[in-house]
Parts: sequence; C-alpha cells; structure tokens
Amino acid sequence: MSFVKNARLLAARGSRLAQNRSYSDEMKLTFAAANKTFYDAAVVRQIDVPSFSGSFGILAKHVPTLAVLKPGVVQVVENDGKLIKFFVSSGSVTVNDDSSVQVLAEEAHNVEDIDVGEARQLLAKYQSQLSSAGDDKAKAQAAIAVEVAEALVKAAE
Amino acid sequence: MKIWRDAGLTYIQYSNIAARVVREALRAELRADAAKRDISHVQFTPWVNGKPKPRKKQESDS
Repeated sequence: MSFVKNARLLAARGSRLAQNRSYSDEMKLTFAAANKTFYDAAVVRQIDVPSFSGSFGILAKHVPTLAVLKPGVVQVVENDGKLIKFFVSSGSVTVNDDSSVQVLAEEAHNVEDIDVGEARQLLAKYQSQLSSAGDDKAKAQAAIAVEVAEALVKAAE
Repeated sequence: MKIWRDAGLTYIQYSNIAARVVREALRAELRADAAKRDISHVQFTPWVNGKPKPRKKQESDS
C-alpha cells in the first residue's frame, strides 16, 4: 500500500518538474577565458563547441548538458547571423535548463589572432619532442602539445 | 582511454599545456603579454603565535 502511495507521490513530483521546466526561446551565452570575456549573457543564435564527447551545436532549448572542451574552434552565430570563430585551449561548457550557456576556457582567442607560421613551427617542434621523449609522462605531455598544435594549424589555415 | 590519462596526467595538467601552446601560437604583438600568464605566483605566509614568519615565494607553471 505504501508503495502505491510512494509511486503516486513520485508521479506527481515528476509531472510538476515537467511543467516547471522553463524553456526559453532565447539562448544567453557567457563565454569567458582567463584572458578575456567575450560574451556576458549575450543572446546568440547558435554555438558549436568541440568536446571530448564529440563536437556539437547548441541552439535554444538544447537539453541540459555538461561537457569538457578539447582544443579547437568554438563557433558563435550571433543574433544578426554573423559567424565568429574562436580558438579554445580547454575548459568546460554548461548548457542549463533555462537555455543559458556557459563556455569557460583556460585560453581563448579570435581565430584571426593565431599566427599560422608560428603554429606550424610549434607543431614541428613538439613532434620532434614527442619522438625524442624518454618516459611515458614526457611522451604524454608532448603528445598533448602536438594535438593542440595540429588543431591550431587546422583552425588558422 | 586517453594516453595522457594512462601516464598519470590530469585534465588540469592537460589544460595547462594546451593553454601554453595556444599562447605560443599567437601573433607576435599579443604573444609577449600572453606569456605572462604562463607563470603564476603563490605566496605562502605561515603565521606562528599571531606573527607572520618570513615569506617564502614559490613559483610554478600556472
């Protein structure tokens, strides 16, 4: 009997939660890094982020999500349709119930601020570091740098 | 699983390396300023009997 009662309570709670989900047609983006704040609760149309669980696009009413950023390009489509590309090193992305989105990066820059020549040199440098690395840790560190340099070259080309 | 995980590195360490490489790849005029973020300073001041002992400065990769 108490099970039935509990089940009813749970069901009631569930439906209330469903009604309370405050979906919004507008998506507010906060995009910040240690070096700069790019958007502070600005209304935007779409955001594409690279994450360890794959790259994905976010529109308003996206299901709440948490993901870890991987080095790559974050694309923001502003409300007037303008597309802006940023390179992020790493960080996190949070998509909330109310369609607000936080992208927090350790380092983020406009893609135009990347020096392609410099990125290519870094890629070569870290590739040779990777091949000459002694222990597993040094190898892993060089492999991370190579991964980032590859992403930088790809983004800046 | 990621190679760096197996080597005992954490995502924070991964992130530090990634951020440093991004800073190194910036256009020359931005790079000098960005390089300042490579290093972080932490100051430890131990207090004994209500008095601060001489400061020790520690430097580490951010």
